[in-house]
Amino acid sequence: MFDTKGTIRQRRNFIKAAGALTGAAGLGVPFISRAQNKPIRIGVPTILSGRVAQLGISSRNAISMEAEKFNAAGGLGGRKIEIITRDSKGKPDEAANNTRQLINSEGCEIIISAESSAGAFAVQEVIRELKVLCIHTNSETSSLSADPKIRVPTAFRTARQGIHDAIVSASYAGSVAKAKGLKTWMSCSPDYAYGRDNTSLFLEYLKRFHPEVELVGEAWPKLFQPDYTENITKILQAKPQALYSALWAGDLVSFVDQASIYGLFMQTSLFAINMADYTTLTAVKNLPAGIHSATRYIKTFPASSDNAAWADSYKAEYGDYPTNWSWENALAVGFLVSAMRKTKSTDATKLAGALRGMKIKSPFGADGTITMRAEDQTTIGYALGWGMTIPKEPYVPNVTPGDWKTILEYETEWKKKMGYA
Amino acid sequence: MIRSPIARDALIAVAAILVLAVLPLVFPGQAFSDFVIRLSAFAIFATSLNLLIGYGGMVSFGHGLFYGLGAYSFALLLQKGGISVPAAFALTVTIGGAVAAVIGAICIRLKEIYFSFLTLAFQMLLYSLIIAWTPLTGGDQGLTGGVPRPPFLGIRLDDPQHLYLFCCVVLVVSLFLMRHIVESPFGYTLRMVRDNPRRVGFLGVQAWRIRLLAFVVAGIFGSIGGTLMSLYVSSAYPDFAYWTISGEGVFMILLGGIGVFLGPLVGATLLLLLSDTVTRLTEYFGLVLGVVILCFALGLRKGLLGFALDAWAKRGGAGRSAPRPAVTAGKD
Amino acid sequence: MDFEALLSCFSSPSCVITQTTGGLISGMLLFLVAAGLSLIFGTLKVVNFMHGSLYMLGAYFAYTVYALSGNYALAVAGAALGVGLFALIFERLLMSRVYGSDVLLQLLVCYGVILILDDAVKIIWGAQFLSMGMPPAFQRPPLFIAGGVLPVFYLFLIVITLLVAAGLGFLIAGTRIGKIVRAAAINPTMTSALGINTAVVFGGVFALGGLLAGLAGALAVPVRSLVSGMGFSILIESFIVTVIGGMGSVAGALVGALLIGLVRSFGTIGFPLFTDGLMFLFMTAVLIVRPSGLFGKEG
Repeated sequence: MFDTKGTIRQRRNFIKAAGALTGAAGLGVPFISRAQNKPIRIGVPTILSGRVAQLGISSRNAISMEAEKFNAAGGLGGRKIEIITRDSKGKPDEAANNTRQLINSEGCEIIISAESSAGAFAVQEVIRELKVLCIHTNSETSSLSADPKIRVPTAFRTARQGIHDAIVSASYAGSVAKAKGLKTWMSCSPDYAYGRDNTSLFLEYLKRFHPEVELVGEAWPKLFQPDYTENITKILQAKPQALYSALWAGDLVSFVDQASIYGLFMQTSLFAINMADYTTLTAVKNLPAGIHSATRYIKTFPASSDNAAWADSYKAEYGDYPTNWSWENALAVGFLVSAMRKTKSTDATKLAGALRGMKIKSPFGADGTITMRAEDQTTIGYALGWGMTIPKEPYVPNVTPGDWKTILEYETEWKKKMGYA
Repeated sequence: MIRSPIARDALIAVAAILVLAVLPLVFPGQAFSDFVIRLSAFAIFATSLNLLIGYGGMVSFGHGLFYGLGAYSFALLLQKGGISVPAAFALTVTIGGAVAAVIGAICIRLKEIYFSFLTLAFQMLLYSLIIAWTPLTGGDQGLTGGVPRPPFLGIRLDDPQHLYLFCCVVLVVSLFLMRHIVESPFGYTLRMVRDNPRRVGFLGVQAWRIRLLAFVVAGIFGSIGGTLMSLYVSSAYPDFAYWTISGEGVFMILLGGIGVFLGPLVGATLLLLLSDTVTRLTEYFGLVLGVVILCFALGLRKGLLGFALDAWAKRGGAGRSAPRPAVTAGKD
Repeated sequence: MDFEALLSCFSSPSCVITQTTGGLISGMLLFLVAAGLSLIFGTLKVVNFMHGSLYMLGAYFAYTVYALSGNYALAVAGAALGVGLFALIFERLLMSRVYGSDVLLQLLVCYGVILILDDAVKIIWGAQFLSMGMPPAFQRPPLFIAGGVLPVFYLFLIVITLLVAAGLGFLIAGTRIGKIVRAAAINPTMTSALGINTAVVFGGVFALGGLLAGLAGALAVPVRSLVSGMGFSILIESFIVTVIGGMGSVAGALVGALLIGLVRSFGTIGFPLFTDGLMFLFMTAVLIVRPSGLFGKEG
């Protein structure tokens, strides 16, 4: 009988041997001292291909930049960070598989999960089983940290949270609506978990902040849908005074381009939470005036020299301005580095203990600092706000910052309502 | 001493299980057992698809429907139903068979490319349903929170070693059963329906019944593949019902050899190995995979195993050569 | 499900007009892509699974030509011809080897090419999404027709597509070339025996299909964002269109595209969360009732 198993085993051994040799060569460190200066391997499951490739690329850039700084400063007692990224191509089961391989085959002690929200849930289940330290950096779904059933002791999050954004968005939109008499509203958001959660939360809180608001319809294009004609004509029919959209990146650009030629924005104010991101802002060729947006990442908000310096050095190294994903990943490395220096270790339990309740200085903090809340292991105090966009730098000249006291009040109430607290 | 083929295959199966059980001692560490667990899900799926394509001449583009259906049924029954693992398994198999019977009855009336399209349409319908029915399925995020595995008969599937052994046993038993079906009178009738449906009619056999039965059997084993994957990722994702799964299944069959029973198993192994190695080395996975696919499609058409068997036969081996690739039924 | 909204739309003339024109607009680009797909299948008996990638290439070519020349007409022409040429090369080098083979092999060859092209695009143009913007000629306020809104650019698109459709119809039914193509589709051996070079015919048809897809891509660029892998969604939709309309029939592709455009347009109002599923349901229904499609020929 044909010996399939024999050839397979041979091939696998060969691959293992080849892998080991490559690994050793790649480290470039003399074989003898490898034991003492063993690198700190950090695995980064992310998305590097397809429509969301920009997510992985800007995440990886930010992580590398921060890791280089750490390594240049001597690392952890001589141990330097080594980053290993894996592309899940946007498939959650691949994200899970990649995470397992990073931990089991590549010897990663820490995981920075730069996956999308669906992928982050998949990674979470792996972390639940393998109990390695993990920081989610891109998933904004609140339930990842808020829901005790999903929470895991060694998993943290440095991404902005859906509920925080909703409260700030609704508060800003509510005051603009009051000031400009915007009574009738519609939404046009991508039909998937992020789009739906984000939009329904926004609408719910908008009603709280400004009860006179009336929802006259909802449009739900598919994620990555190229043609928004049918959604635009639906909106035109309903003639709302204001439109909220959680569309992002290429989708938002297509939508704005297509809606502009219908003249939609002459009668409707657009509140696009994801507009103020450099990639998106620079891609919309004829940015209509007066679009309201949340600050995903703008180098002038917070208006500190630290923030501007960080953005400039990122641009100098990578040629593009950083994205929202970039700062979230930079923040993760910031927390990791502090925790490692404090505990002088890379052990998951020790690091987790240090991270809970930790407050660090950060150029992305509303007041210059960001705290990793102990009870649900997610960050608070990061800068977020809204403003009107203009077609050139600084893109959002006047930002109304979110008030964290208000945010935390409403968040606590929301958690109780959801049965999380 | 004459051994019946069933007895011989049973012995091979037992031997395979024993070898697989021992291998983790040779390759310690979870990476190996993770690989075998994933392989078991894909191998069962690809082999079940080959029942249709290779042995039945029915080119289904929508077999992934059962993979996704199996994964979601199993995971949901355990997560929301709170029943035992064997009960969830049995129910999943029943659901897979029932759905296959209904969809098969509709699809097999069509010929060739239209059969393929309709199976694809049904699969994408299920996919759309999974995405839209968020309260039940979690929508595009899949099932969050993990899949509980209550212990049964002393087997704890949340223990990685138990899970590994469980998957090995399910793999070997499934392959054994499918092999037995393929080598039975039903299997030979199926081949005849593939090659010469008119003649089958003259012999008093109703071709549609044979095809439907094949579709149901394939659907059941496709679902079983899905259950193993849901155990591996402790969830179920809409991707499991996306058309790319069907495409991967087809590719595995062609990689390994369409006319050989173990071809899909070899193909699955190769594809997984290729996938893992390439993902590790480059982020241009598509480029590499695309080139490999072209080489196989234009060069090694009988698949690796088929190619190897041909080479064996030429060297005067056991006289077994790989059968020619199946011709789609009715294409005269 | 929102039946109320659907019913109220049907009873409002401006809604009907706007949604219908909206459906026409979505349908037109779809028709260009589906027509090519249908032609290739009708003549070569081959399903060109990588047709969506030709659309993607058309978009990227148009973007580059526009960026270099600033002339949209040049960009459209350049893209259409460029993709037509690419399709010809693909057909001669790769596809012709799997004519007559199992559809699985054809599927695989196309799948391999899709993977390669997606990564190639990523390498050449980058992973970030690109946007061309509306050419200055079309930056005007939209037209208002009986209460419905129609942007000038879309009017241009509809007119161009209808012209192409008419041209195609005339080409196939009225010219000698069309007769040759139809003959080669029905009986390639006989046609070849009559002294006609079927390789040229096949290559030509494939190139024409590619040209149509490239044209569609170029026409879509002003209102789309370009990214690697963008061919996929239009591939699925044009598949559905060709299956519904009937493989091999250009008229079927037109009818199918318009139907799908309308299903989407009105479907978004009545079934906002299941619009995709609606399309597949429609396709399933047609396949069960008329397996060869509305205009297709049996067998």
